[in-house]
Amino acid sequence: MSPAPSTPPATQADPAPAAAPAFAIRKARTRVLGLTLDECIQGFFGGNAFVAVIILALITLFLFREGADFFGQNRDNLTIYRQAGLEYVDLIRAQERDHTALTRYLSDVRLQTLRHHTEPRAGELRRDQARLTSRIAALRHASTPDPAALAEAESSLAETDAALSALLAEANAQLAAFDSFAERYSDAILPLRGLVSELGEVAVAIKERHENNLNFLQKRQQLLAAGRPEEAAAVQIVPIDFAAELAAITGAFPAYEESAAEVAKTLEQLVADALPAAPTPALSARLERFRQLTRDHLATYPATAEALRSWTPDRPVSFGESFTAFVFGRQWLTASFWQDWYGVLPLFTGSVLVASIALALAIPFGVGAAIYVNQLASPAEQRAIKPTIEFISAIPSVVLGFFGIAVLGEFLRMASGWDWLSWFPGFPFPERLNALTAGCLLGLIAVPTIFTLSEDAINNVPRAFKEASYALGATRLQTIVRIIVPAALSGIVSAVLLGLGRVIGETMVVLLCAGNRLTIPDFSAGLGVVTQPVHTMTGIIAQEMGEVVPGSIHYRALFVVGLLLFFIALGLNFLAQKIVRKYKISIG
Amino acid sequence: MNPPVSVIRSAAAEAVAPRKNPFAPRPGPARRAESAVAWIFRLATYFVLACGLFIFASIVWKGLPTVTSAFERTDTFPYVTNTFLFRAPETLYVFEHEGQKREMGDAAFRAFREAETAKAAAAGQPAPRFTTQTYVYAAGGIWPCIVGTVLLVVGSMTIALTLGVASAIYLSEYARDTAFVRFIRLAILNLAGVPSIVFGLFGFAMFVLFFGWNVSLLAGWFTLAFMVLPVVITASEEALKAVPKGFREGSLALGATKWQTIRKNVLPYALPGILTSSILGIARVAGETAPIMFTAAYVVRDKLPWDVEKISDFFLQGVMALPYHIYVVSSKIPQNEYTQRVQYGTAFVFLGIVALIAASSILLRNKLRGRYKW
Repeated sequence: MSPAPSTPPATQADPAPAAAPAFAIRKARTRVLGLTLDECIQGFFGGNAFVAVIILALITLFLFREGADFFGQNRDNLTIYRQAGLEYVDLIRAQERDHTALTRYLSDVRLQTLRHHTEPRAGELRRDQARLTSRIAALRHASTPDPAALAEAESSLAETDAALSALLAEANAQLAAFDSFAERYSDAILPLRGLVSELGEVAVAIKERHENNLNFLQKRQQLLAAGRPEEAAAVQIVPIDFAAELAAITGAFPAYEESAAEVAKTLEQLVADALPAAPTPALSARLERFRQLTRDHLATYPATAEALRSWTPDRPVSFGESFTAFVFGRQWLTASFWQDWYGVLPLFTGSVLVASIALALAIPFGVGAAIYVNQLASPAEQRAIKPTIEFISAIPSVVLGFFGIAVLGEFLRMASGWDWLSWFPGFPFPERLNALTAGCLLGLIAVPTIFTLSEDAINNVPRAFKEASYALGATRLQTIVRIIVPAALSGIVSAVLLGLGRVIGETMVVLLCAGNRLTIPDFSAGLGVVTQPVHTMTGIIAQEMGEVVPGSIHYRALFVVGLLLFFIALGLNFLAQKIVRKYKISIG
Repeated sequence: MNPPVSVIRSAAAEAVAPRKNPFAPRPGPARRAESAVAWIFRLATYFVLACGLFIFASIVWKGLPTVTSAFERTDTFPYVTNTFLFRAPETLYVFEHEGQKREMGDAAFRAFREAETAKAAAAGQPAPRFTTQTYVYAAGGIWPCIVGTVLLVVGSMTIALTLGVASAIYLSEYARDTAFVRFIRLAILNLAGVPSIVFGLFGFAMFVLFFGWNVSLLAGWFTLAFMVLPVVITASEEALKAVPKGFREGSLALGATKWQTIRKNVLPYALPGILTSSILGIARVAGETAPIMFTAAYVVRDKLPWDVEKISDFFLQGVMALPYHIYVVSSKIPQNEYTQRVQYGTAFVFLGIVALIAASSILLRNKLRGRYKW
């Protein structure tokens, strides 16, 4: 930073002119905008480094830009749901759904009763059937034909078939009373069902007209923008008088009350008098429970009637409602003729479920491998294992997903049928692609991340800790469990968090292998929930982004899901860094 | 100095019957527990390795025949070609003809049908009818996908290396521990954790829609480059840090400017390290599907990328890419004996390319570690 010779300091008196040292820099530095060349270069590099910040800001900006409008649009979506009376109809429909669930319960009881009547005889007959069928197939393809044996086998197969169908016919005959009860029970809802479908049609028609109006409005604006006002004026928009239209729906309230009373009376009568007898105490208890459930169901009727009476289409949908409909919404339903729902809960639970399976597998294996490689393995083993695990991390996720579809899914389904594995919750399962298949593969993806970072953490434990432990007479196992792992715990926990971030954000494996079913997994199945197909946040973006219209509510909903993912990833990252920094062991 | 006779004798007796090492670990429950736990850890480690290698082996085992069985003679120069590697994908037709089951690609099937129709017409019979089952993309090869992947990797790595190495030079050579630099480092760390699908969304919103580039190479390049940037920066910074301080101090002491020092005395020694570590970034770029799904990849495209009218069209065209092709063939067409060939074949070629890149990076790095010792 020598001053240029052309601008000598004015305030200080110049020393003797001959005293200038021989090595003083005489050349003026090139300056661009007042900066020396070196400063320019530094600025250039600094600017490049700043790109990372800019990218992060741009990602946030664009996700918000595209996603932010979602909540407003969803509010409109919910408003029209209310204004067109769809909400009103859904209140009645909920009642009908409740009843359907009860009929399902009833048919389950019937199945068990049937089993009680036919087992174990039917099972034996079925086994015989299977045995004879395979024997016949073997005889047909045998190299030396044996017509006598074949004929014998065929005739006994026919006998078995006849015996089985006779047995089933007899059991069904015994259940005739039950069946007539079940039929009357399920028919009891018909008046309400008719009402729902009638009112539903009216509501959908109103909604459709509203949507057409919106389209016309858009068209008119486009025409105006294109400078064709007369054509724009020609676009007819008939405003909807929601109050008048809704009269057709809310006017049906007396009809509803009448049908509901009729349904309630029939159901009450049926469960009070006509409940069929059950052959075993367990089944009787279930039927008794059914009676109770039906009464509980009937007890909700007044509440529904009250809700319908006090229902008003004018109540505005608040912004908070639109927000909660997304965050706590239990349905992700798009392109439906009735009503689109954008609830993130099924996707979120799916992502969490798959990630927990993956971590449950990856933590023991990843951390175990890290301890083994760092503490127990010989140097030759270390040199072989580390690059191999790094190599595993390089396997592209789409290849793993393909492997899941082609090999692992099929294998797991087959394994779930093995008797000695039947203790495992959820086994056997029918779907090849489910949370377990995806979770296993994601576990393999998370293992290298967890392994590498935990190994680093263990490696950073000062040698003196280990030596002191040995010197006090601890065994190797004691040293590892009591000294080394606790000392490295903060690093291991942050490794697990980063692994979780990796797994939550992974797309291709879950898209290909998780089964893509858009319902909240049924947690009442206990641990067996792991074998259900799920959909995930990353999967839905990858699956639906290609098909949506930019700017539509569906498009924006996907961006909001992306935003959620982005913040989850940032949060996990932040937590991991914080844990490492806070619990860093001081090396004394 | 001579030891007493009795001591010598006892030493000789010991030589005959060696006494146990008093420090040797004694067997006991603690010892058994220790070795049992060691075995559990060992098995866990090797189980992970076995899983990885099994996946690799099963794909190689089923995919290799697709490539090796596709060699074919040609009449022009190299006189041999591989129909799987160097042809475009086609629809597969499966049909029965004169009691024989046949499988043909699109072009071959059309030629065959015309020939049969002509034959029938010559014999005065009605044209034969074929009842076919079709499987899209199950015949032909994957040449456009290979080309597209290479283009995507080359372009995005060029951008990422330029930005990444420059950032790393700043962070390692110029930056002091200020709040600004800590902020940059935090941003890089967080950028590394952003899910790849979010990069895809971002690329779609910014490059495809906002900049109006549509689904194009350019959009894919930038999306992938931004995704891999943290990897490149971290790797380059490590390589720069590995150059000893004395190199810089010596140069500065001789009167060189900072930039001269970096250019002549730091970068040349760091470059091999930067490049080898960045190869791992290449593997990541080549392997990602989610970011290119909506920004650069087409399900199918007939033209090859250099088949354009204007130069600018080259950058603004979508391409087929191997990872996306694997996704398409494994999710959009059924799994059966006819489609297996192309599914496993594509996965094998792709895995082979990525494995080659990753393995070369790992090997080169190990070699480099041994070479430079300062």
